[in-house]
Amino acid sequence: MTHLFLYTDTLSEGYVILVTGLLIVFSGLLLLTVFFKFGLPILLYIYKIITKGPDKKVAEISSKVNKDFTGEIAAAISTAIYMYLDERHDKENAILTIKQARKLYSPWSSKIYGVYNNKL
Amino acid sequence: MKKIILIFGVLSLLIFIKPVLGFNNNSAKLSASAAISQDDNAFTQEGFISEAFNGIKQFYQYTGFANAESGNIIMILIGIIFIYLGIKFDYEPLLLIPIGAGVIIGNIPFVAGNQTGIYETGSVLNYLYFGVVKGIYPPLIFLGIGAMTDFSSLIANPKLMLLGAAAQIGVFATFLGALYLGFNLPEAGAIGIIGGADGPTAIFLSSKLANGINVLADGTTVKNLIGPIAIAAYSYMALVPVIQPPIMKLLTTKKERLIRMKPPRAVSQKEKMIFPIVALLLTTFISPSALPLLGMLFFGNLLKESGRTERLADTARTKLIDIVTILLGVTVGASTQADVFITKDSMLIFGLGAISFVIATMGGLLFAKFMNLFLKGDDKLNPLIGAAGVSAVPDSARVVHAEGLKADPHNYLLMHAMAPNVAGVIGSAIAAGIILSFLG
Repeated sequence: MTHLFLYTDTLSEGYVILVTGLLIVFSGLLLLTVFFKFGLPILLYIYKIITKGPDKKVAEISSKVNKDFTGEIAAAISTAIYMYLDERHDKENAILTIKQARKLYSPWSSKIYGVYNNKL
Repeated sequence: MKKIILIFGVLSLLIFIKPVLGFNNNSAKLSASAAISQDDNAFTQEGFISEAFNGIKQFYQYTGFANAESGNIIMILIGIIFIYLGIKFDYEPLLLIPIGAGVIIGNIPFVAGNQTGIYETGSVLNYLYFGVVKGIYPPLIFLGIGAMTDFSSLIANPKLMLLGAAAQIGVFATFLGALYLGFNLPEAGAIGIIGGADGPTAIFLSSKLANGINVLADGTTVKNLIGPIAIAAYSYMALVPVIQPPIMKLLTTKKERLIRMKPPRAVSQKEKMIFPIVALLLTTFISPSALPLLGMLFFGNLLKESGRTERLADTARTKLIDIVTILLGVTVGASTQADVFITKDSMLIFGLGAISFVIATMGGLLFAKFMNLFLKGDDKLNPLIGAAGVSAVPDSARVVHAEGLKADPHNYLLMHAMAPNVAGVIGSAIAAGIILSFLG
């Protein structure tokens, strides 16, 4: 990297950087703007020509090609997919509840005769 | 129990206040070291109690209470304020809370030389800080930003890219201001990038230019300004909702704020895929020094838009960027160790940073008005979106949206504002590259 302005005044170099820097930033983003405004549509158009002709319209697609594929088959396949995706697991209510049992007195849970004598 | 806590609190408060009140602990330190040396001589003669007492004394010399200086306490308070701002006002909490915690961590007083502090070679914090000093974290953050950002509004309306360029005037104006205030060229360049309103870019550039290692032509070493610059950039980014609205109101008329822009056209997936590649090629050929930032930014975006690498994009925009943000935030915060941070330069940088945000916002707004001179009818821009040209993604776009809604409750500017917003990121990275290639 060359330091052309090494021995000049710092401020004047600052101005040089200010002007050139702003110019470069602007021109860089301007270039991007121009490209995406004009270049990209052209690019996409060329791509379209290279890969294939114009897209087929719905009317052009012949219904005779899939003569064997009836509505029933479609319904069966879609049901199967639906079952596969959604009904694989039988769903259970995931909420667990513990029923409060009526407490009878037992020395095992006694507060008075406990082993650790802790006041629960 | 309460009483014990109260007594302990009062005691610790007293000890905390001691250095502030001017009872300097230097004399205490001297006497302690004297006592220790005496202790060596008369080791056998002294009893258990005095030995224990000396031990406690020595322990006290190692505690934060003995080493605290007013600077540390001020910085700890600032750290707490950062955390408070993040929690209470929701100003960029993802940044302010790690930074605030980092400020506290970095300003716990300690005895130097035990590999504790962030500036001591070999300490853990120093190793983490390495990613900041060498500019490793910023490109990783950019990768995540790229994987998050949707450039479609920019592709739909490419002329908004110029607003991102216009706001970069803040960078260069601050650069000039820093030169006037007597900073040398590399330092001024690093300070200027605060106007880019982009934390990672600011850290990247300052780690290259003002890192305290580079030597200038006249033999002086540049100052280490990474800490102040990063803190200034991040804190002003957090304050975008406070700084920008008054300037917007000042520079636009009510009529201009009511302008409705036509909705952006739908962008095809092909265009979205081509954008990162072409933008990468064009921008980095212009400014190769910004390659780490722009390369990662567009790479991340390609991961997102290619449609085949959703897993990678997902990691980049969630886990990876989170990890790096945590490390970056806490180490940048900790780098504000009081004896390095509280200087005249830091204050100047904070002043310049505020001015640079104002200039950048004004640049964007005025350029939008300037562009309106050439645009007709439907194509006219709402000048408010110019303010989003300072990057600060996505806060400034949100501010624009909010201001637009204030003028007209049915004018939704967010999508339009995102375009100059992301263009601002690209613009400030290019600007950083230019400054780096001029001064690096």
